Amino acid sequence: MSTSDDRDPIAPEDLETRLRDLGEELAMAPVPPPADVARAVRARIEDGGAGDRVRPRAAWRPSPRVAAAAVAVLTAVLLGATPQGRAAVVSVLRIAGVEIHVGGAGPLPTGVPSPLPGERRVTLEEARRGARFPVAVPSALGEPSDVRLADGGRVVTLLWPGVRLDEFDGTLGVVWHKELGEPFPEQVGVVGGWWIPRSHGVSYVPGDGGAPREERVAGPTLIWQHKLVGLRLEGPDRVEAMRIASSVR
Amino acid sequence: MDDDEAVTRALAGDLDAYEVLVTRYSAVAHRTASLLGAADEAQDVVQEAFVKAFRHLKGFRRGSSFRPWLLRIVANETHDLTRSRGRRSDLAVRLGREREPYGPGDPGDPESAAVDADGRARLLEAVRALSDGEREAVVCRYFLQLSEAETAEVLGVRLGTVKSRTFRALRRLREEVGREHFG
Repeated sequence: MSTSDDRDPIAPEDLETRLRDLGEELAMAPVPPPADVARAVRARIEDGGAGDRVRPRAAWRPSPRVAAAAVAVLTAVLLGATPQGRAAVVSVLRIAGVEIHVGGAGPLPTGVPSPLPGERRVTLEEARRGARFPVAVPSALGEPSDVRLADGGRVVTLLWPGVRLDEFDGTLGVVWHKELGEPFPEQVGVVGGWWIPRSHGVSYVPGDGGAPREERVAGPTLIWQHKLVGLRLEGPDRVEAMRIASSVR
Repeated sequence: MDDDEAVTRALAGDLDAYEVLVTRYSAVAHRTASLLGAADEAQDVVQEAFVKAFRHLKGFRRGSSFRPWLLRIVANETHDLTRSRGRRSDLAVRLGREREPYGPGDPGDPESAAVDADGRARLLEAVRALSDGEREAVVCRYFLQLSEAETAEVLGVRLGTVKSRTFRALRRLREEVGREHFG
């Protein structure tokens, strides 16, 4: 090979120029028209941010090894009142597909638990096949005594005596809506989640965008995210909840 | 409407003004997300970044440049995404096909074009093989053509770090591409 620049093919400035040229030739995934992006962003802002996901923040940067060990801290998006102004100042906490409104809760709801849309009893294997995400089972509890699959594979509920673990696609939109009074949920670093110490109202937000289901009372609950799966664990006390959550693989 | 005015209005709740900013920076935001590893989720990352930027607009230091401030949020979102996916923040790109890369000497000469295309592919591979920190410095400085100061802001590192990473990256690329060239 003998091109004219053989003698000094990689002079510093030449390399930099080549890198810039290369950058201009890189093809990326198609980009939507800016006006469409602006509209979509505006809709989400006006919507109060439906579709937000919470992922491990880059506030501090764990080494890949630490991150892989799933110790990454999840900081929930904390939204104050929007510039448009909200009627009541309610803190909204959104994590792993759960939207928690703190401070505006009235009396606890009186609704009784009703099945989720399309909820049916399945085996663990069927749940694994039917769910839209990898179903995780906490080794601390062993095989669940009952398994439910609902809303076209969007939610899998694992039940043990006195324990309910809902797993759901926690990356898109809001799956659960919670209303609670003070105190603000407590952030727990162990699993990078939030602990709600009091009874509160919870309702399921159907995946088809329909109206939320009737609110029911939930006991103290731990909410966290494992990989792409949102989890809410209801029933055990705080210590036990941490133990169970830590055993999810 | 310049950035500063748009920010002022957006802070007052004017979403039309914020749309101006989104429209203005959508392309570079998508490019940044793609180049830092968002792959086919770049659109999602960009929307998320713009929503967050709006919510945190109060934290934007007035008088400074909006673009690197926004791109830092895009970069953080992309990092979060790649980390949550457990994958390396690889360059989610390929060499473009639209523009045939002709050699500088004899445009149209198929052999020269082929050699040149080969060189670009090798250079891209060499960039891919850099460590995350070095690759991101190269992406910001050369692919996105940001200044050193902007790169530091976007990547959330000190200016000196940008300089040293860029320096090391260029040295490594020179070694890699040079070796290939003569080999």
